[in-house]
Amino acid sequence: MIVVERALPVWIVAALLLVALMALPLGWLAWVSVSSERGATLAHYAAVFTDPRLQRALWTTLVMAAWVGLVAVALGAPLGWLTARTDLPGKAVIRSLVLASFVTPPFLGAFAWIMLAGPNAGLLNRLWRALTGADAPLVNIFSLPGLVFVIALYTFPYVYVMIANTLALIASDLEEAAAVLGAGRVRVALTVTLPMVLPAILSGFILAVLQALALFGSPAMLAMPAGFHTVTTQIWAFFQYPPRPEMAAAFSIPLLLATALLLQLQKLVLGRRGFATVGGRGAQRRPIPLGPWKYPALAAVLALMACAIVLPYGVLARAAFARAWAQPLGWENLTLANWTFTFLEYSATRGAVLNTLELGVTTATVGAALAALLAYIANRRLLPGHQALAFLALAPVVIPGVVLAVGLFLAYTRPPLVLYGTLWILFVAYVTKEMPVGYSQADATFRGIHPELEEAARVLGAGRLRVLREITAPLARGGIIAAWCFIFIGVIRELSASIILFTPATRVMSVVIFDLKEEGQFGAIAVLGLTMLVMTFATVLAVQKFLGRDVLGARS
Amino acid sequence: MPGITLKEVTKRYGDVAAVDGLSLQVEPGELVALLGPSGCGKTTTLRLVAGFLAPEAGEIWVGDRCLSAPGAVVPPERRRMAMIFQSYALWPHMTVAENVAYGLRFKKGLSRAERARRVREMLQVVQLAGFEHRYPGELSGGQQQRVAVARALVVEPEILLLDEPLSNLDANLREEMRFEIRRLHEAFGITTLYVTHDQAEAMVISDRIAVLRAGRVVQVGTAEDLFLRPRTRFVAEFIGKTNVIEGRAVARDTLARGAVRLRVAAADLEPGAAVTVSVRPHQVELAPPEDARTEPNRLRGTVRRASYLGDAVDYEVAVEGSDLVLRVTTPPGPRLRPGEATTLRVPPAACVPLAGD
Repeated sequence: MIVVERALPVWIVAALLLVALMALPLGWLAWVSVSSERGATLAHYAAVFTDPRLQRALWTTLVMAAWVGLVAVALGAPLGWLTARTDLPGKAVIRSLVLASFVTPPFLGAFAWIMLAGPNAGLLNRLWRALTGADAPLVNIFSLPGLVFVIALYTFPYVYVMIANTLALIASDLEEAAAVLGAGRVRVALTVTLPMVLPAILSGFILAVLQALALFGSPAMLAMPAGFHTVTTQIWAFFQYPPRPEMAAAFSIPLLLATALLLQLQKLVLGRRGFATVGGRGAQRRPIPLGPWKYPALAAVLALMACAIVLPYGVLARAAFARAWAQPLGWENLTLANWTFTFLEYSATRGAVLNTLELGVTTATVGAALAALLAYIANRRLLPGHQALAFLALAPVVIPGVVLAVGLFLAYTRPPLVLYGTLWILFVAYVTKEMPVGYSQADATFRGIHPELEEAARVLGAGRLRVLREITAPLARGGIIAAWCFIFIGVIRELSASIILFTPATRVMSVVIFDLKEEGQFGAIAVLGLTMLVMTFATVLAVQKFLGRDVLGARS
Repeated sequence: MPGITLKEVTKRYGDVAAVDGLSLQVEPGELVALLGPSGCGKTTTLRLVAGFLAPEAGEIWVGDRCLSAPGAVVPPERRRMAMIFQSYALWPHMTVAENVAYGLRFKKGLSRAERARRVREMLQVVQLAGFEHRYPGELSGGQQQRVAVARALVVEPEILLLDEPLSNLDANLREEMRFEIRRLHEAFGITTLYVTHDQAEAMVISDRIAVLRAGRVVQVGTAEDLFLRPRTRFVAEFIGKTNVIEGRAVARDTLARGAVRLRVAAADLEPGAAVTVSVRPHQVELAPPEDARTEPNRLRGTVRRASYLGDAVDYEVAVEGSDLVLRVTTPPGPRLRPGEATTLRVPPAACVPLAGD
């Protein structure tokens, strides 16, 4: 019943690639978690769930993730409302700062906060001691609350995006209709606005929790020195000498199930009313005057932005140009030595920058092309079972980087494909991990291209592949370039999968930053971190150019 | 110039047959409208003819070429057709001239100059000379529509397919474009299938109309055929307004409902059987009440509602001796008021017996 199609092999190859990309690591992960030399066993699971240390790690992770979700909502929801609906001054700047927080690699934030709030040398604590003469530090970032705080600083944008984009779609009429009927301002907010954005809040909460569960860098920098593990750092520890991949596999599965469950929950929340009733696109929106609260609100927002962006970036810049980061600023302490050391003298960093760039460009190119092809197949229903393709392409969202890395390690350290030890295994990891980002961007792009535009060309005599080249590709160009940029940003900041898959010859920037921290080379870390930020922001600007909107914007 | 033949074509989506054993013959040079409510399978039929869909059963022929059969479908690009879409489907990254010239790329042996000449001529035909270098985004809806028409006609297709091409235009422009499309059809004479859900549009544009329902053709004919001689209740109600009167045959030519007797011209009814007839509102006449006699087809009634429509008056009249309420349309003139008694005259020739629904 399928129309005979000369382009069919192209679609089939793309689909098979995707299936292999997903099935191999997950298959090996599941298999190794239940296998031993004497056949199938549940011993690894039993070991995982009876070891009190591992139980503690599991429990700590759940508590940490839940708190991150709550703090992210407490920060992101009011901020979203303030910028979307009120006359708060400086909204454009605030939005840019939220965007900056969104794209800041969390482990860089964590590293910066070590310099700010480490118990002994942390700048804020030294300031506190100098001002009060106290002996005890004001705050200790190496603690569970410290960890929650730093992770929340870089996950609240997920909540913010959900809230701001939802509120921006709700017409003021809906609220004014209630006001006309006699409801006061607070009552309108509680009975009309809040119920409409509740799904967005819940959904943002779940996204923040998902992020917190999957994160490796921040807990590795803040929790491990404090003497406790989260699930991701524990899985990493299973790969330190002596490696115990079967335990890592067995410990990965609960994390995978938790993230899958959460994402399903989010779909459920978003799928119910809420968004369906939020429709009025052209509807009028009138900003609500904050009155006397205007400047207190602004001050609170700026304080948050200082914690997320200004202070961390400032301390990074200072460390990058200082002989000793903890010494006072001054001409005699100013140097470019960190830069020459990082880029010219220290071979590990130079190699890592090159590896990261190479991987970033190849992954983004191959990933965007594959994502575009898959999204095209699914959108135009070119293969039976195309819904399964969409599902598979989006599935890695639930796979934490560490878990994916365990699966890839198991899959590609044995024949026929021995990729471990080469850049290829990192490439495969990145393509897999970034597939959902690339796919959803490509999918949105093709959804925006009416199929009739292609059909019109076909009727006039153009074959399927020619239409793809002459009609679809030029129309999709901006969207696909944006997909390329999104993948590139994701790759250059990737740590949680790289940290398990790298070998000395295949280190990338994030891994080197992690290693340098063990060596105490703060200046070089700051240089690499700033370089990473510059690369990220240059790419973000490119996205804005090609999409005509910022990265946080609602997909229309 | 070939015609189109659809033989027992079936297309299923899952368990639902969108097109269900549909047969239709379009003569060479003829314009046939596929008319029906949404979900009747008209667009699916068009897409089957274009080759975007493959039939599960049946065949589609153009002239002596079999283009579609189960398992053997000629792809759209090799069917020598052109299509005009509801969305116009103009390529936003190409200028008007590039859009129109696109199909000429696939015509062998055309020089660059020849292509440019044809594009220029065609843009003149659709009154868009001078717009060559504009982009579609810079044109009004009506102008975009004309570009779409030019792009389809310039390739001199064997078959032209139109999928609700006017539904995105505002009412005035839509009426103007109906005449325009009819004019172009008369000028070029291309065998054409035209999908629409708008009966007035179908009546203006087409030589014949095929009324579709649930994936089948229920009646094919000229606009007049369908309006005056609908064969089923569905066609009678879909094309224009009508009164559907259900009753029982009391003689070979007479229907009874309550005390009302209606003579039906040219009918061969089976006495005792259930009968349904259609009577168009404008074919019923109103007369003063003193005119009433108790003979068939002259009915006493009371005006329930009278609405002045400018070029006509629309009445609702309750018929005495039954539960019938008839719609009657009369030319404007001395007007009856609600509650007034009147006499309805229903000409036997205006009563058209309907088969099934």
